[in-house]
Amino acid sequence: MVSLLSTLLASSSALNAYEQVLEVTQSNVANSSTPGYAKQTQELYALPLNPSLGVTGGVKAGVVQDSRDQYAEQNVWRQSVSLGQANQNVSSLTALQSLFDISGDTGIPKALNNLFSSFSAWGQSPTDTEARQTVIDNATNLANSFQQAATGIQSVEQDTNQQLQTTVTQVNNLVGLLQGYNTQILGGDRNDAGLESQVYSTLEQLSQYVDINVTPQADGSVTVLLGDQTPLLVGAQQYSIGSTFQQPDDAVYTQAPPAAHILASDGTDITASVTTGQLGALLNLRNQVLPSYIGDAYQPGDLNTMAKQFADCVNQALTSGEISGGPNAQAGVALFSYDTTNDADVAATLSVDPTVTPGQLAAIDPGPPEVANGIPLALAQLAAPEDPADEINGASFTEFYGNMASRIGSALNDATSQQTVQQSAVAQAQNLRQQSSGVNLDEEAMTVVEFQRAYEANAQLVTILNQLTEDAINILASTTG
Amino acid sequence: MLAAEVEERILAVRSEVDRACQLLISPSPTALDSCSRLFETAGSRLAQLQPQLRQGAGNPAAQQEARRLRMAVMCAQRLLENAASFHVNWGRLLGALSAGYTERGDPAPAPRRGRICVQG
Repeated sequence: MVSLLSTLLASSSALNAYEQVLEVTQSNVANSSTPGYAKQTQELYALPLNPSLGVTGGVKAGVVQDSRDQYAEQNVWRQSVSLGQANQNVSSLTALQSLFDISGDTGIPKALNNLFSSFSAWGQSPTDTEARQTVIDNATNLANSFQQAATGIQSVEQDTNQQLQTTVTQVNNLVGLLQGYNTQILGGDRNDAGLESQVYSTLEQLSQYVDINVTPQADGSVTVLLGDQTPLLVGAQQYSIGSTFQQPDDAVYTQAPPAAHILASDGTDITASVTTGQLGALLNLRNQVLPSYIGDAYQPGDLNTMAKQFADCVNQALTSGEISGGPNAQAGVALFSYDTTNDADVAATLSVDPTVTPGQLAAIDPGPPEVANGIPLALAQLAAPEDPADEINGASFTEFYGNMASRIGSALNDATSQQTVQQSAVAQAQNLRQQSSGVNLDEEAMTVVEFQRAYEANAQLVTILNQLTEDAINILASTTG
Repeated sequence: MLAAEVEERILAVRSEVDRACQLLISPSPTALDSCSRLFETAGSRLAQLQPQLRQGAGNPAAQQEARRLRMAVMCAQRLLENAASFHVNWGRLLGALSAGYTERGDPAPAPRRGRICVQG
């Protein structure tokens, strides 16, 4: 009788255990598409069996094991942060590139070509009022083109400022969600697979914005650092980051746009450590790329440098010339004006003095020898300068502009390539995470050895293929067939 | 060979590399074996094409296709590096977990166990 009861109790215990296994399996099936969910396994263990002592054995449910692999998760976040960076770079650089036309059909290059043409035409008819008026009109168009380019870049800068602040808010909001999950876990929900899936789904979202370092704690909560040092979340305590815009104390161009800074919750400047992810890309655009065109505390920016140097060259030539020859020669007037108090604002303020009339443009180079069309000829020569003083960094004005435009084009090209590769890299990391969940260490040690050999073989083949591809590109790029 | 034919042949090489990239998104020993074959085919096709490439010199479409091929090779290289790095580091972790550390403090090599399979 005792034996029968024991057997019934053992059977009941086994049924309970298998019911729990079924529940875990149901949860796995139901959550197969849940973002951040990792397969759970119900551990079972055997109870002692000794019929002579009336110990009837059976099975009992143990703890629920999570197949999540922190190493594989970290790999996904690492790839995700690079994808976030590439996505942001493509988006921002596309907007910036639209302001730099290299076809020569619009904007600064077209206006510059037209002005050079009108200098040549004026040189052929130095006293022709219509030719002089065309010079004034084309100079006005060029000044407007510089203004439009500067305004366009300033607009991209404003958008970037806005995006920076929004991204910082998104980071804080996501960390806020994690803080809520940590609070629930610390309150006793640590074995809730659904809650854990929310934690990891949120971490994956967060990893698009900033480089995160996540440490699961023994109490079930997660500690999240930005980079390796700045705490974002510890237990139930969130540390919010902030953004600010300020000029350094040693600024040379004090009226230039102030640089963007990211601050930790204690006010520490952590800008230098935010180099990847969407936030890193925005910071790079805001503090490196845009200032190279429109300036910052330490540089006037290439667009301003070009506008200033071109305006100065033209003005200097015109004011050194004479409107009429002879002993009562009248000097010419300057054509361009701009804000001389702020070198970082030249392009945005470049204009043609509206009071200048065709008759005030000096065509005569007083020499000696005096040349009646010397000034327009010298101005036309700016298109292909022979004098290094008429160049910027060893390039003509047209070439200098082309370099500015190609810099963006090249950066956008790199970002697009990076985006394409990174999309595959994230998919790969997600698959590797899938593959590595719930692995058997002994079996996997064998597989890893197989992998290493296969990688070495493939790496050698790809190196050869890479070299063959580079050779092909070089041959195809050569002009002689 | 016409420039268009050169372009077409480079496209064929690229499609091999693209297929390898697809396989590398889910790297497994079997997938890596298939990748080796695809890279070999791509490499030999490109090597065979090399003498005829001059006939496509200066052709923008052929140049563009070659740049796309470079992009595909770059993608393959990156995926291969990422997966290799993942598995090498994973191997180190497994080694440390299963066999501890060496005297120098490096993770010990993961133990390899042989298996016998009997079929009857």
